[in-house]
Amino acid sequence: MNHLSTALKNLKNNFSFYALYLLSISFVITIYFAFTSFSMNKVMLEKISGNGRVETMCNTISIFLMAFVIFYMSYSNRFFLRRRTKELGIYALLGYRKSTILSLLTAENLLSCFGAFAIGIFLGGLFHKGIVFGITKLLNLTVNNSEIPFFNLNAMIKTACFVFAIIIILAVSNSRFLFKSSLMDLVRFEKSPEKQTKFHAVPAIIGFVSVISGYGIALDIFRGRKSIWFTVGFYFVGMVTLVLILFGTVLFIASFLPYAVQTGKKNKNTFYTETKIITSPNFIYRMHSNSKTLIMLTLLSAATLTVSSVMALTLYYPIAALSRIAPSEIECRIENENDIPKITEIINRYSGEDDITFLQTDIYKVTSTADQLPMEYSIGTSKGDADNEKILRNMGFDCISYSDYTAILKAQGRQKILKQFPTLSNNECIFVRYQPASGKDETGCTYPLVINNLEIPVTVTMTTLNNPISFANSVGTLVISDDLYHMITENAVPETKVLSINGNSITGNEELFQALSEYLNESPYLQGNSHRVHEVVSLNSSTFLLIGFLVVLFFIATGSILYFNNISAIADSKSDYDILMKMGYTGRKIKKIIRKQAITFFSIPFLFGLADCIFATLVYKTALMQNLLKNSIILYFPTILAIMLTLIIYLIYYCMTVHTCCKMILKK
Amino acid sequence: MSTLLEAKNVTKVYAKAQYPSLNKVSLSIMEGEFIAIMGASGSGKTTLLNVLSTIDTPTSGSITINGVNLKSLTDSGAADFRRDNLGFIFQEYLLLDSLTIFENIAVPLTLQKFSPKKIENMIRSLAETFGIDSQLDKYPSELSGGQRQRASALRAIVKRPSILFADEPTGALDSSSATDLLNTLKESNARLHTTIMMITHDAYAASFADRIMIFKDGCIIQELFKQNANRRAFYESIAREVAKLDTER
Repeated sequence: MNHLSTALKNLKNNFSFYALYLLSISFVITIYFAFTSFSMNKVMLEKISGNGRVETMCNTISIFLMAFVIFYMSYSNRFFLRRRTKELGIYALLGYRKSTILSLLTAENLLSCFGAFAIGIFLGGLFHKGIVFGITKLLNLTVNNSEIPFFNLNAMIKTACFVFAIIIILAVSNSRFLFKSSLMDLVRFEKSPEKQTKFHAVPAIIGFVSVISGYGIALDIFRGRKSIWFTVGFYFVGMVTLVLILFGTVLFIASFLPYAVQTGKKNKNTFYTETKIITSPNFIYRMHSNSKTLIMLTLLSAATLTVSSVMALTLYYPIAALSRIAPSEIECRIENENDIPKITEIINRYSGEDDITFLQTDIYKVTSTADQLPMEYSIGTSKGDADNEKILRNMGFDCISYSDYTAILKAQGRQKILKQFPTLSNNECIFVRYQPASGKDETGCTYPLVINNLEIPVTVTMTTLNNPISFANSVGTLVISDDLYHMITENAVPETKVLSINGNSITGNEELFQALSEYLNESPYLQGNSHRVHEVVSLNSSTFLLIGFLVVLFFIATGSILYFNNISAIADSKSDYDILMKMGYTGRKIKKIIRKQAITFFSIPFLFGLADCIFATLVYKTALMQNLLKNSIILYFPTILAIMLTLIIYLIYYCMTVHTCCKMILKK
Repeated sequence: MSTLLEAKNVTKVYAKAQYPSLNKVSLSIMEGEFIAIMGASGSGKTTLLNVLSTIDTPTSGSITINGVNLKSLTDSGAADFRRDNLGFIFQEYLLLDSLTIFENIAVPLTLQKFSPKKIENMIRSLAETFGIDSQLDKYPSELSGGQRQRASALRAIVKRPSILFADEPTGALDSSSATDLLNTLKESNARLHTTIMMITHDAYAASFADRIMIFKDGCIIQELFKQNANRRAFYESIAREVAKLDTER
């Protein structure tokens, strides 16, 4: 009997055992083939971006993906090899040479990979079609599906070559294991006791202090300009924080947790319970071999959660901020009164409905003689402080009337917030801030406005972030009473005339916006809410989709490794559970122990990842993102969503793990 | 002495087996007795232990321990019954590798919800008798076979079970360790009145018991009583009977 037929017989006779291995490698090949097909899909790549940005992204991600596939398959291979060590020992006892055993294992891997390749190509093709469908729907693209083959030949060849390379890597890894193990090691592999964890207070305390210090430094960013992030520098403090948390995580898991559990055992009242007396020593006992896996999973989980959270925030925040950057559906400057009928005509051409409101706001620039003026008074007036240095503004307050202000807000559908605005007397005003105030705002401040060579003091009765006009057309908007506004208009010409166009029938009409842009010679003062949303989504969605793909992949990898790790631990300690049952542990109590053991291993990477993600997101949001919106929990909604999704993935894997473990132990 | 265990017409037939492993076995064990079950491999000794100790269920027949009919017990009821009434010693020691010896012994007491202080006192008071008082903080892998089996015996006896089932407890031990363990069991039987049912194929180990039941083809074919005989004389009579059986085979 040659190796191939022995391997085939082995696979046939132990199908249920190999099915899990086959399933796990089919899964990674499916992902790999789907991604390779996508990155070789010229039709889609040209539609998404013409400048090669997505191709570069795909090439970068494919390196991560290859690394992941190699790691995942090596892990699965090692996991199944470990469970077969005794069998290999018996082969060796019967006189098989190690080279013969290696050939047998390689033949089995070859057959398994061939099966997984066939499954992966088919499922990957389906998955690729699903990705194409999702992207075309999301980005509203028109794609001729017949141009996209189900099986991309080049992708198939690339996948086949990669799988072949992996088989060689696995053979090398197996040979290292076999040739390093003595016959005794192989035969007695399952019986060899775990190395004992040594308890040292010093590394445990260092680990704990490092992690807490890392998080403390991260929180220091809330002190604003006084924080060490500003005084010392972002790069240096960022690196220190990263090192502290990385180093702390390693020591926390390897030293602090076993030390804490061991110390916790001294509390006899809590330790002598039917589950804890089993789970606590088990945790410590298995920590030696599991700490490396747990550290790796924790770091993977933290990186994945942080990337997904930051990514979700990066996509959501600009869209949320558009309610301030471009509050009207369409807004433009009126440089010439003749433009209004032409703009109206273009609008009517694209919308037959009569729900459209056209509101013209005349903005008057008014200077003030106050000593302390808000930064909005002068922002964008000189080179260096303007976003677009080609369109510098004049210093002063942009004054609009209370009636115009409320009318625009109403047209923009923001009736609800109108209730909070007080009516204004002639010496009162509402100040529209550019950014939320970090401390005390301008409420109560009095600014003498220079009107008709007279100084008329106005007091800020409230500040608001509800700007009616885009920042392209007005910054430092001051809402004044209608009477005072009329006084200004009597002897001055408006600085800017802004036309705000709103209405449901023109919402999201990109063609209309392009037509207006063409008419207004691509004026930078033409702003549109839906247009900007479309711009943000189409510019970033391909990047986010690809990163999202990688994030999901890493989550699945973490979950799968935790699954295999727990199954392996349970399989190794099956005899322990038999002892417990003989002692009088009921099935329910055994399930409780299994659940507790599994939750410990699932919660370490998840909770650490969660903490790292929260602190990293706070630093990112506070330090690196321009803050135009009020700090509200809603802003963190995408982060919470990313965390919830992670939690769901973990929960699914946890339930699967507990179910399989209970089935293994309690099966009669 | 009152009857502790009573088995009537217990039969066990495994699926696909040609012959029953237990064939209408009836026996009774009195409180405080030390019984040894002997027989060749495959005679049904371990099957008997498994059905008597609720680990397995008989195909037919009834078993009563402490007045409780085992047939009436559900899975969890059987687990609770094992927890409260039975102790086990196995040839492979069956200690939990991840727990220290002290923790291993504490498990059944914890399951019975004894207070931590009482657990500590109960273990420490018996550890010296079993010769493992200095080994309590070690892990099973750090102990010799004899020490492990004594720890296993202490774990079984410490909770004062109604009956202790020992399946080939000396099977993996050298003669000196085996004698130590048997003396410990005998002492527990005498001092603590622990009822013991021990499966063994070794006439020397069996000679520590008060009564011997010899098994063949799933039936009890002979019973030997120690009565007033000394252990050496009893051992010789067991050895004779076993030799007789071997020649008949």
